[in-house]
Amino acid sequence: MVKEEKMIKITDLEKFYRTEEVETVALNKLSLEVKKGEFVAIMGPSGCGKSTLLNIIGMLDDPDGGSYVFNGTEIAHYSERKRADLRKHNIGFVFQSFNLIDELTVFENVELPLIYTGVAAADRAKRVEEVLDKMQIMHRRNHYPQQLSGGQQQRVAIARAVVNKPKLILADEPTGNLDSSNGNEVMELLTDLNEQGTTIVMVTHSEHDARYSHRIIRLLDGHTVMENIMI
Amino acid sequence: MIFLYITNEFSVDSFHQKGKNIYRVMRGYDATKARVPYLSGPYGPALLNDYPKDIKKAVRVMPTQALITLGNNSFNEKNVYAVDPSFFELFSFGLIKGNVSSVLKDPHSIVLTETTAKKYFGSTDPVGKVIEMDKSLQLKVTGVVRDVPSNSHLNFTMVMPITNYTNEEWFTKWRNNNEFVYVELNEGVNPAQLEKQFPTFMDKYMGKDLAQMHAHFDLALTPLKDIYFEESSSFDNVKHGDKKVVYIFLSIAVLILVIACINFMNLATLRAVERSKEVGLRKVLGAMRNSLIGQFIGESVLLTLIACVFAIALLLLIMPWYNGLLGYSLAISWNSPAIYLFLLGVILFVGFLAGSYPAFFLSSFTPIQALKGKLQLGKGGAFFRQALVVVQFSISVFLIISTIMIKKQMSFVKSKDLGYSKEQTIVVPINNGDIYNNRISFKNELMAHSNVESVAMMSGEPGGYYDRHSFEVEGQHETYNARTEFADFEYVKTLGLKIVAGRDFSPKFATDTTGSVLINETAAQQLGFTPAQAVGKWIIDNMRDSNRRHIVGVVKDFNFLSLKENMDALVISPAEDSRVAVIKLKPGNVTAGLNIIKQAYTKAAPAYPMEYTFLDQKFDTTYKADLRQQTILSVFSGLAIFIACLGLFGLASFTAGKRTKEIGVRKVLGSSVQNILILLSGDMLKPVLVATVIAIPLGYYSADKWLQNFAYRTPMHWWVFGLAAIITFGIAIFTVSFQSLKAALANPVKSLRSE
Ligand SMILES: Nc1ncnc2c1ncn2[C@@H]1O[C@H](COP(=O)(O)OP(=O)(O)OP(=O)(O)O)[C@@H](O)[C@H]1O
Ligand SMILES: [Mg+2]
Repeated sequence: MVKEEKMIKITDLEKFYRTEEVETVALNKLSLEVKKGEFVAIMGPSGCGKSTLLNIIGMLDDPDGGSYVFNGTEIAHYSERKRADLRKHNIGFVFQSFNLIDELTVFENVELPLIYTGVAAADRAKRVEEVLDKMQIMHRRNHYPQQLSGGQQQRVAIARAVVNKPKLILADEPTGNLDSSNGNEVMELLTDLNEQGTTIVMVTHSEHDARYSHRIIRLLDGHTVMENIMI
Repeated sequence: MIFLYITNEFSVDSFHQKGKNIYRVMRGYDATKARVPYLSGPYGPALLNDYPKDIKKAVRVMPTQALITLGNNSFNEKNVYAVDPSFFELFSFGLIKGNVSSVLKDPHSIVLTETTAKKYFGSTDPVGKVIEMDKSLQLKVTGVVRDVPSNSHLNFTMVMPITNYTNEEWFTKWRNNNEFVYVELNEGVNPAQLEKQFPTFMDKYMGKDLAQMHAHFDLALTPLKDIYFEESSSFDNVKHGDKKVVYIFLSIAVLILVIACINFMNLATLRAVERSKEVGLRKVLGAMRNSLIGQFIGESVLLTLIACVFAIALLLLIMPWYNGLLGYSLAISWNSPAIYLFLLGVILFVGFLAGSYPAFFLSSFTPIQALKGKLQLGKGGAFFRQALVVVQFSISVFLIISTIMIKKQMSFVKSKDLGYSKEQTIVVPINNGDIYNNRISFKNELMAHSNVESVAMMSGEPGGYYDRHSFEVEGQHETYNARTEFADFEYVKTLGLKIVAGRDFSPKFATDTTGSVLINETAAQQLGFTPAQAVGKWIIDNMRDSNRRHIVGVVKDFNFLSLKENMDALVISPAEDSRVAVIKLKPGNVTAGLNIIKQAYTKAAPAYPMEYTFLDQKFDTTYKADLRQQTILSVFSGLAIFIACLGLFGLASFTAGKRTKEIGVRKVLGSSVQNILILLSGDMLKPVLVATVIAIPLGYYSADKWLQNFAYRTPMHWWVFGLAAIITFGIAIFTVSFQSLKAALANPVKSLRSE
């Protein structure tokens, strides 16, 4: 195994949450690796730390201990600004609750990451139209999120996640708010993206969805209990 | 507070029981000028005598000042009224001791106000005590009257019978002006009808005099309640109010209230959103829309009520400061129903207004919408709220512009070259017999001192009193009106005036004392002369005598009147009408100079305490009202902005709160903190920008209007508006950025979790 093939290498990762009285250990000396081009599903009971892990992988949050090497760079102690910079060029997010901005149209929502990475306006329009086409949501480009069905909204969210051509897509229960047919559609899309070379890490509660992945990592109380390799 | 001020202004003289039948007789001398209230002694009795059917009472009121002595103490009393004995029957000033119809019957009687009585007699009963007036009259205190309230145009500290003067020669002349005449008309008499008969009256008594003076007098009646708001002229030194000022304050109060109401509405609506679950639940449980509206408005009224209680407490606390600001004391009349009605009105009105929008807005939700908890405020609502913010900030910007303009104009007036030198110059009024009689030795004494540059006696110092006379001038067919100054030969030198043609008065010319005048440039120009042409022309002062005097010189125009008035023509004649001594000191120690003046004064008039003012301080008194307006306006515009910002702050926190999710998403997608700050603040500041754009023309217009009051105006630079905009923006940005920063710095993970 060549070192370069690793996209994510996490070792002894720790994360605590302190509230007034209790200290919650969300991640407890967790270690895992994700190779480039892999499609990994993370499963586990509610509250075991899946979202926390995903947020740290996505550089939205910083760990309290351990090491996180992304694409060969140790970033556990990166400043917020550096993380943000790395993130916007490399990572796309898909959330359970879509997290589209209600005040912006479909087109504008998808355009947003391009604005933040400083893509020129003409280029942006082309690329947005391209992904909207691919997600088959082009005809809704001028609608507002509230005017779309859940499945359509999630397609927009995925479009937004991939418009920047990220190397890694993180999806936190992407089908959680969808019925099974819409859910399957989303899983197909993710599989397509993976086949085109994008690494995907997905949190899910559904064994069915997990079957789309190459490998399932099971968490319990903040550390890995089992890894299944799906062939 | 403003309410108190306004009621006070409008209630002036309303306490007189016979008020509606009381009129002040006014004398007009020139159709283009305001009438003056000063008449001479014979008018009162003659009016009463000629129109017995119409006029029930005629009371003469002669304001004067006097030196009052009691034992070893002497006081110069400025507000002594010499009046006809029925004064207290006509006006309801509230005698505490003494009988209204008889207190002033005896010529040797005097009535003191409470404060004056305390000043002289402490806590002992003053009635029956004797005080001495002007070293000659022995007057026995026969009554005590309540202190004159601040809402009275008449203002005195003691009242004595006018009968002490009625036999003096000057008093019996028709041609004189020293007192007011108030008449009480019989019930049902039409004052307009009576006024129509006055021309005959004037003809009968003054026809000959007037013909000789080439003047024309007419008489008119002003209702008592209108006297206060009459256009005040320098010829009428009773208390006057300015309706404009009252309206300005009224509008400021209303504007501030509007701002506050808008805040309340906005915040209540926003809060209401949080309560939408409660509303939904109530609806599901069967509450009617009306009862919900009732509930909301009720709550709002209650809140206003509580606010009012706080306001009153606050009012009581800052009342002394406010009175200081106004320059006179306002009393809160807790026992008058007006104030309660007003408070009740405000509470209900504000309560309803502020509560109405949220009430109707909230109760219009369907219960399903409301129960979902996530209310869409809707584009319309957002627009409405922004519009309200625009209104608030328009008002603020407008007030800021006004404040800056007033400040600017004041400093412009202050720094304007008035055309005369006012530094190191002291004005001493010649206001008693002793100093008048010894004025020449007083002057000589001063001139002998090395500290004194020069001394001039004159009828009016700059900014002071200038009578208007009619003249005949060489080469003119019509009589010519101009202001007059009577002065001695040091006039030009003392005031540092410039001669542009001819020469100054000079003792070298024997004829100067009786046969010369100086005029100012304006006078020369009005007469159609260049300054050089004017020199040598003759001029007759119709009101004085029929002597021809010659113009020996023309002085450069100087602002002898307040800057609110336009430059007027002035004729300066050497004469003995000395009302003030103007003393210019050499540069250096003013205190020492002042001491020299005091010593000389004591020599000339030992019994009297010397009064003096500095000529450069005259400014402050002339523009007192404007300066006061300026302070009050600044305070209130500050308040307005503060309240508006409070609202903006509330709105900003709400918006930031509502947009946490959006901000979270944007951050996840790679937006930087700056980006988010700009986005949020920009959105919040848009209404402020719109407001500025709206307010600037309004501010320009009203400042322009206000400046019309002044004959000399500061230019309106664009920077005033720029500054106002910057101030508003600065404060608004400060307010908004706090919330924006908080939102922008928040961890996006948390914001998204809350979904
Ligand atoms: N901001 C926070 N403050 C305090 N505790 C937190 C916070 N975020 C997460 N936790 C705690 O950390 C633990 C892990 O939370 P996490 O959201 O990662 O769980 P999860 O596996 O994603 O659960 P679910 O499947 O329900 O989404 C939980 O016990 C949770 O209560
Ligand atoms: Mg989770």
